[in-house]
Amino acid sequence: MTKRDLLKQDLISAGERFADTFSMPKDMVVNATLLHMVGESDIFVENFKGIISYTCNEILIKGNHTKFCVCGECLVIAYYSNEDMKISGHIKEVKVIREA
Amino acid sequence: MGLLQNKWIRFIKGCLVIRLGGDYLERFLNMCRLHNIYLWDIRRSEDICYCELYASDFFRLPPLLRKTGTKVKVMKKRGIPFYIPFLKKRIIFFIGVASCLIMLNVVTDYVWAIEYIGNLQISDDELTDFLEEQEIHYGMRKDSLDCEAKEKKLRETFPTVTWTSIYFEGTKLYIEIKENEKSEPVEIKTKGMDIVADASGTITSILTRNGVPKVKAGETVEEGQILVAGGVPVYNEAQEVIDYQIYDADADIWIQTVIDYQDFVGESYPMIYYTGKEIHTGFVEAFGRHFDGLFLHNLFQNKQIVYETTTQKQQLVLLDNIYLPIYYGKIDRKEYYLRYLTYTSDEMEQILTDNFEKFISGLREKGVQIVEKNVKMVQNRSNNKSGMEMIGEILVIQPTGERRPIQMQLETSGIQ
Repeated sequence: MTKRDLLKQDLISAGERFADTFSMPKDMVVNATLLHMVGESDIFVENFKGIISYTCNEILIKGNHTKFCVCGECLVIAYYSNEDMKISGHIKEVKVIREA
Repeated sequence: MGLLQNKWIRFIKGCLVIRLGGDYLERFLNMCRLHNIYLWDIRRSEDICYCELYASDFFRLPPLLRKTGTKVKVMKKRGIPFYIPFLKKRIIFFIGVASCLIMLNVVTDYVWAIEYIGNLQISDDELTDFLEEQEIHYGMRKDSLDCEAKEKKLRETFPTVTWTSIYFEGTKLYIEIKENEKSEPVEIKTKGMDIVADASGTITSILTRNGVPKVKAGETVEEGQILVAGGVPVYNEAQEVIDYQIYDADADIWIQTVIDYQDFVGESYPMIYYTGKEIHTGFVEAFGRHFDGLFLHNLFQNKQIVYETTTQKQQLVLLDNIYLPIYYGKIDRKEYYLRYLTYTSDEMEQILTDNFEKFISGLREKGVQIVEKNVKMVQNRSNNKSGMEMIGEILVIQPTGERRPIQMQLETSGIQ
């Protein structure tokens, strides 16, 4: 891990601590991706950068510092806009893939 | 994202279902997102991808398609913008629909039917006369009718009406009334009435209940003669009339009188013969004008034809309540011609006898006693009136007595 990465990690941790201290939403302070899941069929994603890959069984979403993998069956993007997106289908798993 | 999810807005703005193919579909989707091109219903199926977008955004796609090497094909078009060419082609139809709706809106502002509900003692004709007096008629504007004022007027005009309601349902005006079923006994005001003879003859019996009898049984009276007087004299001790007590004379009086009888049967009489030809046509009546198919039929006929006509007429009603000033129905016409036939003497005698028997039985039903019948048949051979006549007299005993006010009598007697 380079010095720059360490500095970045520290800044994120600082931001999280700041948000915790002042009871502020973390997604706004550290620009974190917000995933909001309703049951096992819908998932709302906000504050993301884009889609890395999309198949029927897997959607890989690029967040600000991490990637999220939504696994399932018959996955459909109900809508896809600049602000948010909604994934519908039979969701089995949501994985967080930390960038090395 | 409410806007994106609103199907109506998508329908109004117009949207497309497109099929995307290429190696960099994810990149294409991300670029659409960055360029604020909204996509929805994105479905991946192996190498291809289906999605929907607004029709206006479709024209912003080419640069993105070029950059990502994606191929696009429009699969389906939805929404109003795609119906405009369809509407343009059928503009006359839509103008017709619009004018029909406008006409309907105008026509429904008027009264086209009137119905009476709940009237038992008051006849429909009486109510119709009342409405005519109040200038309520077919074809009047609904808003020109003050229902409450007319309800009040109706109650004033007909005292037996205890409750009334005038209201509209569609273009139909309902006049709903409730009458007083237990009618109050009518107060009979004594005005003073005499009973006078309504025919000349001999009194056979007289039974007086009220008033002073002026004749006895067996006396002969003339028409108009007083039989029972309504003014009962009040005498003083010197047996002089000082006043009259006024009553309505009441009595059962029977008179023996002669009734003249006359009947005539013409020698020739018309008889209808149907030719067997029937014409069935439809007709329409709108705004006082009548159209039917007989006019066309008569164009090809030279001679004047007489028909027996049966008409079935119905008013055009929309949604059970909106009565329009348009009537339709069918007219059945049976063609016939008249032929004048001649009765024989026996037939004429038979007809006259039957008529006389009917007359006599009619009198008996009224309670008239037949004392003597003196009639004869006469053959009439004049040019204008050829036929047979029955003339004669019938001696009967029948009830008599006609009530007349006694005011004149009191004035002439000088006592008030």
